[in-house]
Amino acid sequence: MTEDIDMRANDTDWIRVTSTDGFSYIVKRKVANVSGTMKNMLDTESNYAEAITRTCPVMQRGIIVEKMLEYMAFRAHYETVGPKEDIPVHEFMERLPPEIVLEL
Amino acid sequence: MSVTRRGKPKIKPPRKHGTTFSAEKTWAELSSNIREIQNHDASNLSFEENYRFAYNMVLHREGKMLYEGVKKLVAENLDALANEKVIPVFPTGGNTDPMHRSQEADIFLKALRSIWDDHMGNMVKLGQILKYMDRVHTKSEKVPEICEAGRHLFLKHIIRPPIQQHIVTAILNQVRFERDGYSINRSPVKGCVDVLLSLEVNDGSITVYKRDLEPAFLRESEAFYETEGVKLSETCDAPEFLRRVEARFESEDSRTHHYLARQTGSPLRSILKDHLLTPHLSTIVSLQNSGLDNMIDTDKADDLARLYRLFISVSTGLPCLKRSLKDSIARRGSEINRVSLGTESGDMDIDPVGDEVDRKGKGKARSVTSGAQKLALALKWVQDVLDLRDKFVAVWENAFNKDREVESALNEAFQEFIDGNGKSPEYISLFIDDNLKKGLKGKTDSEVDIVLDKTITVFRFLTDKDVFERYYKGHLAKRLLQGRSVSDDAERGMLAKLKVECGFQFTQKLEGMFHDMKISEDTMQAYRTHLAKTTPPEIDLEVIVMTSTFWPMSHSASPCTFTLDMRKSCKSFEQFYLSRHSGRRLTWQPSLGNADVRVAFNAAKIELNVSTFALVILLQFQDPADDAFLTYSELRQATNIEDHELQRNLQSLACAKYKILKKHPPGRDIDKDDSFSFNAGFTSNLRKIKISTISSKVESGEERKETRDRIDEERRHQTEACIVRIMKDRKHMAHNDLINEVTRQLAARFHPDPLNIKKRIEGLIEREYLERCEDRKSYNYCA
Repeated sequence: MTEDIDMRANDTDWIRVTSTDGFSYIVKRKVANVSGTMKNMLDTESNYAEAITRTCPVMQRGIIVEKMLEYMAFRAHYETVGPKEDIPVHEFMERLPPEIVLEL
Repeated sequence: MSVTRRGKPKIKPPRKHGTTFSAEKTWAELSSNIREIQNHDASNLSFEENYRFAYNMVLHREGKMLYEGVKKLVAENLDALANEKVIPVFPTGGNTDPMHRSQEADIFLKALRSIWDDHMGNMVKLGQILKYMDRVHTKSEKVPEICEAGRHLFLKHIIRPPIQQHIVTAILNQVRFERDGYSINRSPVKGCVDVLLSLEVNDGSITVYKRDLEPAFLRESEAFYETEGVKLSETCDAPEFLRRVEARFESEDSRTHHYLARQTGSPLRSILKDHLLTPHLSTIVSLQNSGLDNMIDTDKADDLARLYRLFISVSTGLPCLKRSLKDSIARRGSEINRVSLGTESGDMDIDPVGDEVDRKGKGKARSVTSGAQKLALALKWVQDVLDLRDKFVAVWENAFNKDREVESALNEAFQEFIDGNGKSPEYISLFIDDNLKKGLKGKTDSEVDIVLDKTITVFRFLTDKDVFERYYKGHLAKRLLQGRSVSDDAERGMLAKLKVECGFQFTQKLEGMFHDMKISEDTMQAYRTHLAKTTPPEIDLEVIVMTSTFWPMSHSASPCTFTLDMRKSCKSFEQFYLSRHSGRRLTWQPSLGNADVRVAFNAAKIELNVSTFALVILLQFQDPADDAFLTYSELRQATNIEDHELQRNLQSLACAKYKILKKHPPGRDIDKDDSFSFNAGFTSNLRKIKISTISSKVESGEERKETRDRIDEERRHQTEACIVRIMKDRKHMAHNDLINEVTRQLAARFHPDPLNIKKRIEGLIEREYLERCEDRKSYNYCA
């Protein structure tokens, strides 16, 4: 409403996700939308500062943010597949390093 | 498990939240941010930050403070918006100019919609940052989520007097304005209606729309259409009225569709039906000069279709339409009946006078042509009925969507008026006769077929089918005997149609007649070969042997003295026939035959085709000198022909187109004092002349009475036979059941009068076919 940038929320937009220790990750909006909070944050209707800059600050360490985004990408990928296809949840679980489990 | 083996796992405790937390401080910051959001400055705010504020407040058990605080802020904002945007644009209401008022309403509704949009936008944004509160606090406290709370607040702070009334009046005003034929900006109305629709009161059981707007709207519509209906019915003719009403239906439909709620559609429709249409149904249908009758007269299929569409939509419409259609048919039908009967009774009035006048040599045309006239009348009657039927069937097909109920109403009406004419069976039979006789003249076979098909539809309406059968038999017999039917195929086709309509019994005798014709043909062939072997008599003879029960002719032979030559021929055939079929009795029917005779006039020899009677009469003139006179009584004595037949034949010989005999004195009618002489000076261009007997085709009053009596007698027999048949089967039956069963079984042929059935039952009791039971209400069959 106030900014003149392209406001259309496109699934293929790139979104920057930053962590507290200075890492930043770039993911597709589709992936970011897996998280309700992040979706709200980026909602172009409400148009908060994050939506305009397309940046989501996440108050977590980089390693946590990375694993979180990995999970989100995993979920975004398998969300649309049919029930026939096996979802390799187990494999994903195995990829979780135990040292960050509690923080996740 | 490879992960765990990767070395000593070092599990860190999760990061602590900021230890310094002050609810007041957080709220102060958050509330100022919320105000920013309400001022559309969200883009300067960090979502993450605000989310964290709300999250922290809830986490530190300050949810209530947060919730109430937000509500308060929202309420304040709403009040501010109302004061700032809505109240200044209240419609003044004092202005009488509808255009101006509509504009005011438009502005007002737009303003209202805009603050709704604003409010809802804010609520969505707040809802997003307060998500955690909604998830944790509101659920445990059992208060509505913040978005829902926003709705409640809107309801409380905006939909309140006086804004509430203004909304309703503004919307009604716009509707009214549009109904008056102006165009309005629909979208603000639609916007406000949507707002009202989405607001629920009383725990969601009813929307504000339903509570406030709909009743007022329906009330207003009711009043409007009541006056509109009266106005239209007074000022418009029927097609215009129907057009306008239909337009109203459509516009209201589009109104509910486009900017009111769907749910209002059906009550609104019923208001239109009840107030705009139903009270005026009969007025419109019966409007002089433009009502139903007029539309049918002028073939306004569109208007009729519209009429039908509108009428079937209301419950009283179809009965009303049916009633008017029936009235219309009955009126037209009785007109047709009146024309045919009126002229005829006029004839009867004139007839005696005509005889008197005749002696003075005037009014000649009348009584002779009256036969043909009556025939024409009968044909016209059927043709009129067929035309009428065609008309209504066309209307029914094109405009009434082939409605079954309408069809049955039409049929009933036709039946009524066709039965109203006592002569209809005769007329229909005459009509068929005429078509089968003259069919080839100017009409193709298929055309005749179409006409006959139509006639069958009229025939269906007859209740006295037995009467028809009697006439049809008579006409068919004449056609067959005189060889005047168009084609065997057409005749058989007609017969097949009748068979389909009335069953095997009905046509049994008719088929018998055809059979006789066929047999006779074979017999004649055999007879001719027989004659070739012996010495043939002087006169060629062709005989049709008729089974007496099949043919409708009287069985007693009409007396006629044949000449010697003729007697010889007859004798020869009789001998031949009886030798083939012993035990049969042949009765000669000279009244049905005809003869070819070559007559030597002065100028030339001309072959005449005359009836057998006429031949016998002519032969009386064979011997005397050319200008000898024979008086009527002499002829009567010599030929022995009955007065009635003699007069008829003399008339055709002496008074018709070809004057073979001279009558003294000349005149159109035969009198018993007249005398006749052979007209030797007769000339004609034709070598062969057919002298048809003057036939009275439509029955005269006396004949009619006779036919009537015979039919009555036949009905008596049929009724008795029917009763016996039923009783034989059932042995015991109650009176009413018996009457019903008899009526049912006989209905295919005629409508029996219960009184007559009762008489027949009594007759049968007397003859001991039946006996009355002790309860006096039922009967037993006596074997």
